[in-house]
Amino acid sequence: MADVEATKSLSGLLNGIAQKVYYNNSEITEELLKHELYHELSQEEFKALHEKMKALIKSIATADMDPSQLEAFLTAQTKRQGSGGLSAEQAAALSRFWKSQRVRVRESLLSQSRWEPGLRGLSWRVDLHTATSRGDAAHSGPVALMELELGRAGQDSEFVCLEFDEAKVNQVLKKMSDIQESIDRIVHRT
Amino acid sequence: MSLSHTKDTSFLGGRIPAEIESMPKNLKDVDQELFRKILKAVVSALEGKDSRELMKSIAESSVIPQERLSHIVAGMYRVLSEAIRIPTSSLKQEAFKEDLRELRIPEDFITDFASVVFGSRRTALDAATSQNDPHLPTVEDFKWRVDVAISTSSLARSLQPSVLMQMKLSDGSCQRFEVPLSKFQELRYNVALILKEMNDLEKRNILKIQD
Repeated sequence: MADVEATKSLSGLLNGIAQKVYYNNSEITEELLKHELYHELSQEEFKALHEKMKALIKSIATADMDPSQLEAFLTAQTKRQGSGGLSAEQAAALSRFWKSQRVRVRESLLSQSRWEPGLRGLSWRVDLHTATSRGDAAHSGPVALMELELGRAGQDSEFVCLEFDEAKVNQVLKKMSDIQESIDRIVHRT
Repeated sequence: MSLSHTKDTSFLGGRIPAEIESMPKNLKDVDQELFRKILKAVVSALEGKDSRELMKSIAESSVIPQERLSHIVAGMYRVLSEAIRIPTSSLKQEAFKEDLRELRIPEDFITDFASVVFGSRRTALDAATSQNDPHLPTVEDFKWRVDVAISTSSLARSLQPSVLMQMKLSDGSCQRFEVPLSKFQELRYNVALILKEMNDLEKRNILKIQD
């Protein structure tokens, strides 16, 4: 029973660290984790455990370990002697944690090195101009209105509205296929 | 205004604008040469060109007093801009001429007016005036770059391609943003969809609704 509890607490701690360090959840603090999960540990013992797990997650995340790399890494850690060593239960908890969080942590790390605003979404509409204050506009073709949602990580979105005629849409589409080609060249080679 | 009107209302509306109503009086001793000069300046103004120099030279060389000249210019501008508002399918040449005749504008001038409204310049005039319609900014310049981040301060091996796009807009602003691969696919798909939608619209010809 005690083992189950310990595993639960450790999973909680690992996820808490991920929330705090990688998902920018400021509600999770070290004190909260101690209070909720490791009430019985002394401040110092908890601090040591917390620091150790944080460092391990950091190593795993920075290298973006795949399952076999992770296994080798954890095996090496369990073989270490003294207080730096890892128990088999701890290794298993880390392995489970990483399996479920790898994609999300990687995404968060990638976004940490993104400084330009990113494209978050787009919506569009195709209109026909029928009449305007200056006159009848039926001779002009359909018009595409596009709204781009842009934003930096952690900031509110900004919206950019654009207008395209058919020729412009065609041009943009051509550029898109150029970009695709360029991406394919890189992605296929690796 | 009155319901007993036998003829359809003039293209100028129920009440003739003051600058047009006073035109016949102001045009009294204007010869065709001067009229054509003014017409040229007015048309180029309608096309959005700077016609100040042209107007100035007309004003300096003509014997007509400045005040009358400015009334004439205003009237001619109004006649043409009102006529161009209406598609040629709705305003027929004969009806246009008839409306001007009713205002007692000399026949020679009416012919000149008609040649602007119904002549070969009409397409250019329509295109120029549609520039002034309210619209959203358009993309003037679109540059892109595909990056692969090899290694970053937070990730030892990131190897993640991304697209950096930079758009210069017609309102002078510049937008630069990064597009992750998944979003790029979404963007490309949607642009293709927009083009298809526009092509379909033209094929269906719903524009051809006639009154």
